[in-house]
Amino acid sequence: MKKVYIYKIFERFWHWAQALLILILMISGFEIHSSFNLLGYGTAVKIHDFAAWAFLVLIIFAIFWHFTTGEWKQYIPTTKYLKAQFDYYVVGIFRGAPHPTKKLVYNKFNPLQRLIYLGLKVLVIPIQVISGFLYLYFHYPIKGLELQSLDLVAVIHTFGAFLLLAFMIAHVYLTTTGYKPMSAIKAMITGWEEMSEEEIKERLVSDIETSILKSRAQLKSTEDYNELFDAAISSVGKKAGITSLADPRFKDAIENSGAGYFFIGKDGIYNDVNETWYKLYKYDSKDEIIGKHYRLSRTEEDFAELEAHVGIVLKTGQIINHGEVKRICKDGSIGYHTLTISPVYKEDKIVGIEGFIIDTTGQLLAERELLKKQIRIDEEFKKRKSKED
Amino acid sequence: MKKIRLFFFVAFLFPLWSNAQIETENRETDSTSVLKVQNYIRMENRNLTPSVDHSTFPQLKQEFKTAHDVTAACISCHTGRADEIMKTNHWLWERTEKLEGKGELPLGKKNILNNFCIGISGNEKSCTRCHIGYGWKDKSFDFSNKLNVDCLICHDNSDTYKKKRGGAGYPDESVDLNYVAQSVGKPSKINCGVCHFWGGGGNNVKHGDLEKALLDCNREVDVHMAVEGENMSCIECHITDKHNIEGKLYALSSENKNRATCTHCHSNAPHTDKLLNEHFIRVACQTCHIPTYAKVNGTKLYWDWSTAGRLDEDGNPIHENDADGNHNYLSIKGTFVYDTDVIPEYYWFNGIANHQLITDTIGTIPVQMNSLSGSYMDKGEHKKTNKPSKIWPVKVHRGKQIFDPVLNKLIQPKLYAEMKGDSAYWKDFDWNKASQAGMNYLGLPFSGKYDFVKTEMYWPLNHMVSPKEKALSCKECHSRNEGRLAQLNDFYLPGRDKNRFFDFIGIGLVVLAALGAILHGSLRVLFRKKSSSKI
Repeated sequence: MKKVYIYKIFERFWHWAQALLILILMISGFEIHSSFNLLGYGTAVKIHDFAAWAFLVLIIFAIFWHFTTGEWKQYIPTTKYLKAQFDYYVVGIFRGAPHPTKKLVYNKFNPLQRLIYLGLKVLVIPIQVISGFLYLYFHYPIKGLELQSLDLVAVIHTFGAFLLLAFMIAHVYLTTTGYKPMSAIKAMITGWEEMSEEEIKERLVSDIETSILKSRAQLKSTEDYNELFDAAISSVGKKAGITSLADPRFKDAIENSGAGYFFIGKDGIYNDVNETWYKLYKYDSKDEIIGKHYRLSRTEEDFAELEAHVGIVLKTGQIINHGEVKRICKDGSIGYHTLTISPVYKEDKIVGIEGFIIDTTGQLLAERELLKKQIRIDEEFKKRKSKED
Repeated sequence: MKKIRLFFFVAFLFPLWSNAQIETENRETDSTSVLKVQNYIRMENRNLTPSVDHSTFPQLKQEFKTAHDVTAACISCHTGRADEIMKTNHWLWERTEKLEGKGELPLGKKNILNNFCIGISGNEKSCTRCHIGYGWKDKSFDFSNKLNVDCLICHDNSDTYKKKRGGAGYPDESVDLNYVAQSVGKPSKINCGVCHFWGGGGNNVKHGDLEKALLDCNREVDVHMAVEGENMSCIECHITDKHNIEGKLYALSSENKNRATCTHCHSNAPHTDKLLNEHFIRVACQTCHIPTYAKVNGTKLYWDWSTAGRLDEDGNPIHENDADGNHNYLSIKGTFVYDTDVIPEYYWFNGIANHQLITDTIGTIPVQMNSLSGSYMDKGEHKKTNKPSKIWPVKVHRGKQIFDPVLNKLIQPKLYAEMKGDSAYWKDFDWNKASQAGMNYLGLPFSGKYDFVKTEMYWPLNHMVSPKEKALSCKECHSRNEGRLAQLNDFYLPGRDKNRFFDFIGIGLVVLAALGAILHGSLRVLFRKKSSSKI
């Protein structure tokens, strides 16, 4: 059984600070609502006011964090697997069925969580904050601008509190539905979540797929293809507790992710490739390519460029991410892919290079087709127009 | 990364720290140091020896044949003082006041009705025992004669001066006018109290917060007047300028002017607690600081005139007392209810009152003898006042008194006369005759029919301020049931009010969530056992 790093430090701090503040606000707030006597009314009011300010500061930091890290995207609602997730909680969970969605770095939340958390973030909490501050600062009608009555604000604020309390109960209960009853809570404390081997593998695959998607999206734009892909891949590895790309788990994951893997020795001879790689190059098995020089994979003019890059990596240990390149397949046909090249170390010495290739041929062909079509339509259109004139 | 964490941490702690700073700053300001004490001499600095010895003055050694002679002697030195006092309410028993919907009217004790002894008209000889003059026995009284002014009632420091019962303000025959005239000085508590404590025919009958116990009381009764404390006299707060004494009572007054307020000495933010200071915007100081009134002796809360007139077998008036020794029945007046340590009722009040005049048709029942204006929505932006309405503690005196059911107006009966046969109710016990005589005196019509109608009168409380430890706590008002403001329902009060519907839905959701979790959890445990037992 392995652990996977899911929650970052700020995220955990934010979560627990928020939990604590909501709890404090809840206790003091319901005392203000005369639901019970615990702290004393005046003390409850003071604590509530103070916790409200602390909460606001926390929210500002959390908003900043969500936007700078792009974590906000985790909350984009989706209907994909929504029913499956619902069915799981209603039926599957009792039969020991697997979770229909996996907890992944790039997709931490299941569709139900996305919906509920988004609802909290954009609806309940803003309403609580706004109604709370109206409550706090406009409670005495003495000027024309003030609230005419606390009625509405107080009722909204109280109802919001009930919603949050109901959420909290359900939320705490649902933490027990993880891999083990305590694993979700432990993950929220340490950042590392316990998962089964299978889940970890799936998670890796998914993360790599996400990385690939990202790099492709990047490719489409005219911007330079940066370190994105490699950085993503290596962070995926780190979070899975994998230090070496050669880790079999990682290779397995890559195998299933649609990325091709290669390992070329210092002498330029292929030492290893994965299935995706040799299929992209239209070989029938990896034996056909292992032991051969990478010169095979390029046209004359492209080879010089690749050689130069490989030289840099071997010499400096730098990781190179490359935009789209043209490859020569076994049958002499041409394909396109993007490429990362990183050094392979053995006892502090660079013994070769390894990397991934992500096929872009299909995508390119489709795009070209589209373009051709568009041109035809445009021409047709022009013709007709000139005829009409 | 560590730097960022530290930054977050510091940024998060900053509001905690700054708030704590403010708290300490607040705590450092001593509450007494923020008093705006002007023209006030503290107890330890007071010099109780008078600056002049009136007993040495030859003017006061002459033999006074009448009380008027004393006045003449006083104003022979204190020139102009009579003119001053003759402009004041204490002399005129009326002042021009603007009433909502009624315009400017001369109003005061002279013509306003209450639900105690109803009114002075026709009964002057008895009522004007509390007038600062001599001889106001009927309409013929000369308000312009300086010699009619009674200086002694306020300035006697010998505590031997007293006015005669039914004597139209003249002193009792037993009074040694020379002795009193030679012992004059600044008014003390008893000078004011002799009328303001015993108003309505007995100690603490009317106000509830002004009574003889204040002459010698501890801090629990009144922090300002407590003998062991500052032992303040009335005029310490009711600052007097040219014999015009600041302060007013809304049994008679209507406009928001010339009031004696707490903020003459205390600041607008006297608490160290910001939250409490905020309450000052809509809550009068009195509300929290006068938790109960009539702390020592009972005050009259109910007066039913309709039961009056029950006589004993010999046709003589009777009186019955309650367990505390307060009257609960008098033939001449009817049935009473007294109580001590009374919890006030609370109303919005903006300093403006209205009055049911004898010429006014009765609208609402109980008849509002005086009504305090104000509401939650009254923010003071209309021109009547410049301050928003505040919640005030009020003594409400309820009663049942005589009215004309045909004309639908209150009746001023003639109550007092020296002997029978003068139509006075207190001698003849005939409401018809008393009503006829009273209304005739005022030149107002009487249909010949009378009945009794419920009335209410409002007395905002200002005295018997408790020590701060005894001030109301939050929960006295901010509580769901039976809070002090349970009747003041025109606004949302946190802790008292809730929206039943949304609370129900909210609690329902919480319960459903909890039940759902319990049910779901137990099902999971159950199914897991089943599936594992299969294996």
